[in-house]
Amino acid sequence: MARILFDNVTKYYGSVKAVDRLNLEIVDKEFLVLLGPSGCGKTTTLNMIAGLEELSEGDIYFDEQIVNFMPPHIRDVAMVFQSYALYPHKNVFDNIAFGLKMRKYDRAEIDKRVRDAAARLHIEHLLDRLPSQLSGGQRQRVALGRAMVRQPSVFLMDEPLSNLDAALRISMRAEIKQLHHSMETTFVYVTHDQAEALTLADRIVVMQEGVVQQIGTPDEIYEKPENLFVASFLGNPPINLLEGELAAEGGKMVFQKGGFRMHFPEDMTVKLQAHTGRAVTLGIRPEDVNEQGAAMPGSAVSGTVDTVLPMGSEQYLSMTIEGTEVFFRLGKEHKHKDGDSVSLEVNRNRLHVFDKETRRSMLWG
Amino acid sequence: MSAQSTLFSERAEKWRFKSRFSERTRNAVIFSSSLILLVYVLAPVAWLLSSSFQSEAEIVSVPPHWIPHEPTLENFDAIFFQEFEEVTYDTRRKVDPAAGGYIPSTAKDLVPSMWNSFIVSVSVVILNLLVGIPAAYAMAKIRFWGRQASVYTILTTRVIPDIALVVPFFLVIKNLGLLDHVLSLIITYLAVTIPFTVFILVSYFESLPDELDKAARVDGCSRFQTMTQVFLPLALPSIVAVMLFAFLTSWNEFLLALMFTQTIASQTLPIVVASFTSDFTISFSFINAAGVVAIIPPVILALFFERYIVSGLTAGAVKG
Repeated sequence: MARILFDNVTKYYGSVKAVDRLNLEIVDKEFLVLLGPSGCGKTTTLNMIAGLEELSEGDIYFDEQIVNFMPPHIRDVAMVFQSYALYPHKNVFDNIAFGLKMRKYDRAEIDKRVRDAAARLHIEHLLDRLPSQLSGGQRQRVALGRAMVRQPSVFLMDEPLSNLDAALRISMRAEIKQLHHSMETTFVYVTHDQAEALTLADRIVVMQEGVVQQIGTPDEIYEKPENLFVASFLGNPPINLLEGELAAEGGKMVFQKGGFRMHFPEDMTVKLQAHTGRAVTLGIRPEDVNEQGAAMPGSAVSGTVDTVLPMGSEQYLSMTIEGTEVFFRLGKEHKHKDGDSVSLEVNRNRLHVFDKETRRSMLWG
Repeated sequence: MSAQSTLFSERAEKWRFKSRFSERTRNAVIFSSSLILLVYVLAPVAWLLSSSFQSEAEIVSVPPHWIPHEPTLENFDAIFFQEFEEVTYDTRRKVDPAAGGYIPSTAKDLVPSMWNSFIVSVSVVILNLLVGIPAAYAMAKIRFWGRQASVYTILTTRVIPDIALVVPFFLVIKNLGLLDHVLSLIITYLAVTIPFTVFILVSYFESLPDELDKAARVDGCSRFQTMTQVFLPLALPSIVAVMLFAFLTSWNEFLLALMFTQTIASQTLPIVVASFTSDFTISFSFINAAGVVAIIPPVILALFFERYIVSGLTAGAVKG
């Protein structure tokens, strides 16, 4: 069992702050995903858990024990790397067995565990091969096997799927999720891929430039982003952002940008009414519109379609609202073509409002 | 077949002929160039070998013979078995080198000097590995303060010519009381060879991905075990290359050995072979035979490790 606690952890590389005062508790048996663009400090955070990077300030606890200076080979962690990092001179069996050998397990136990892991990953027939004779997906499985056999109390993964092709990535995602269920151990997973994060995580930590932006369940992160960065980092196509200002209109709060107006529903009005006149950014997720019902002014986006982007199962429409390009995602019930004039009802309960200056959400957090 | 397709097939035939012809020409050029290069490189060695089986009279005959007319083992016999007879100014004409049978006064030192060379070279190789591998691993994979500086410093020492170091080396060796001791050579040769060893190994270790290092450490290796279990086996070709370099440098080194050694207690092969020219008379056949004996150990080493040498010197990233 392992609970990991970051207490005000900072990491400098020279004068660059890679991680800035990180406070984070990773619960036992949790699947935690560190999500962010490259250079956001997520891999550094992972390496600090493994003991591969020393921290500059703060403490890391495993359960109640401070592990700041505990070298990696003494920590009970296993790690899977983006490049797989298989030992090129050892065959698959020896690659998987290496961690057990270093920990002086007896031969029969090693053999049993390696074969069990290989069977679970469907690589029994590859045990005699060298890594150079394997495909990318097979290497990935060997890397997983190497980490699995040790039955570590913390399982660390550094972008393990990003070198695989798209189809394989999706099936491996499912396998990793199953692995987590069956191993019942703490998983910390680093990725820049929001889809991976949303599918795998119990909780997601969104990071940018070494600073935690938001911690929450995938739903919380997606539905209630606490700032503009989190809102725009998740979602595909990304959230539509319109810069305008708040106004009061007959007791209701309204977003306005030139001629475009959007009325906020009751509960949002309560939160926003103290901020009349404030410059804000309105966020509308591309999927939060539909073509049903009468589109009322103040709750709809209307205009001509610039481009229709058919996506097979759905279609994206691009439009221009007051000089800003926006995308909406629609089903295929209605056929649209370029230049059509449309009016789309916005699901106003799912609007997002961010303070233009602080970039923080004015609705959540 | 239409006229046009006939035209095409004719053209294709012409082209095929041309390309076959040009391929042959190319092969011929490559072959003859390599042959010229090979002859150029091997001719001195061939002459060394051939003349070591010739008598002194045959060596100096005109025109010289590539293939000995009367092959003899006398020269080798002299190296290993003959009693030495001192030649003085008065007796210098007693044995005419051209008639064969002349042996330099230091001939008996040849075999002991070979042993000295061997001790020095092997010690230098072993110490090179003991110092060079950990140093290179640390510089390549551990981020510590002054890492870049130490790599550059080590590189810089290689641009200083050895002769500039002779005097400081001499003073150090003298103060250590190691003049005329094989240790003097081991110490100074280490100073000359280790920078190269570290440089080659650092660049090799750097070409291995950092993640390999991390994976090994998470898998339960200490730093030392990471080095021995993962990096050493992978670096084998480079290690063989630096071993050979250290061995050959020590085996062939002349200048420092000339400075620090005085007697056969520490004299190495190059010094003793050179001393054969300083008598009243010089026997070229004997010197050449000694030369053959001197190149045998390095040649054996090179043949033994041949498959590692090329890959070791050209090694880059490891596929896998």
